[in-house]
Amino acid sequence: MHELSVCQALLGQVADIAKGRGASAVDRITIEVGPLSGIEPELLASAFAILRAGSCAAQALLSIESTGVSISCVGCGAQGPAAPNRLVCAVCGGFRTRIIAGDELRLRRLELRMPQSRSALTA
Amino acid sequence: MCQTCGCAVTPEASNTSVAIEVLQDLLSANNQVAAHNREHFDQHGVLAINLMSSPGAGKTALLEATIVALRDRYRIAVIEGDLETDNDAARIRAHGVPAIQITTGTACHLDAGLVHRALHDLPLAGLDLLFIENVGNLVCPASFDLGQHRNVTLLSVTEGDDKPAKYPVIFRASDLVVLSKADLLDVLEDFDPARAAAALRALGRDTPMIHTAARRTPALGPWLDWLERELCAWRPVARPRSMIAAAAGA
Repeated sequence: MHELSVCQALLGQVADIAKGRGASAVDRITIEVGPLSGIEPELLASAFAILRAGSCAAQALLSIESTGVSISCVGCGAQGPAAPNRLVCAVCGGFRTRIIAGDELRLRRLELRMPQSRSALTA
Repeated sequence: MCQTCGCAVTPEASNTSVAIEVLQDLLSANNQVAAHNREHFDQHGVLAINLMSSPGAGKTALLEATIVALRDRYRIAVIEGDLETDNDAARIRAHGVPAIQITTGTACHLDAGLVHRALHDLPLAGLDLLFIENVGNLVCPASFDLGQHRNVTLLSVTEGDDKPAKYPVIFRASDLVVLSKADLLDVLEDFDPARAAAALRALGRDTPMIHTAARRTPALGPWLDWLERELCAWRPVARPRSMIAAAAGA
């Protein structure tokens, strides 16, 4: 259940950014979790439901975006979708491939609730 | 309603929401500590190897046999990760090698911060080789960089030969896969090393797979060869004491 650790890290990052921007709360957190990230999105969502209590993200929605796995063949250069445990080139059968999508584990976007006076100042 | 005359402003709307793009790795804090650990290892010329497997695959047994084989030529230490007990660290210390125990409690993996704290108790200056024995688990350890230079994953032949297909993240992150307890292959009809190798190959990397047996009659040749190659590649100037002795006697 390392999703708890990852969720703690996520909430720490979100709190740092929200504080740095002077936000009063966080409305939405959008993260990318690829099938090859080693993280199970549903377990991360469960961890978030528990850990967000009392944080600046207590009322935030967590949106988890997941792309499929895509690979690029080192041998022939072909690119295409692949299964997480079948990362060989579909064109030439080569097994030296690079992941071009599907191993993401990152905070993509935040929607921050700004106090009116501050947003008026920055507008 | 508009934003210019103020007709959109209600008590509920007195706060404004702004969207910002972040694009930051969720494990960036761990990765920073891992990079710091790696700097420590690099400064002291220590090769750090993260040893991972499911519980009971033989990580500690492999380390014990490795220490017996290499302790006269390399200065070795071990960081032991375990949910409970320091049994494994005690086994390592019995061979005269320093072992630092990290008891993770309920945590299913080591992270860079835990390793960093353990490094405070470990004098790196006198070391050539540091093994970090991760918590027995084929899922969670794969996501956390510890600062190691190489990942080694054990697959014991008493497990299924389809493990690389079931746990692609950890096997894909491996620089070497060790088929442990290989002396049992004769009596284990279900495990086909060729199937395991094919499942590993399907993960899109040319990861080598070697056989070891650490009990009864230890058979560690390919593993020790790999370690020595990595040590030499890591520190081109370092030569095992046996080679130096052989050169001096020649």
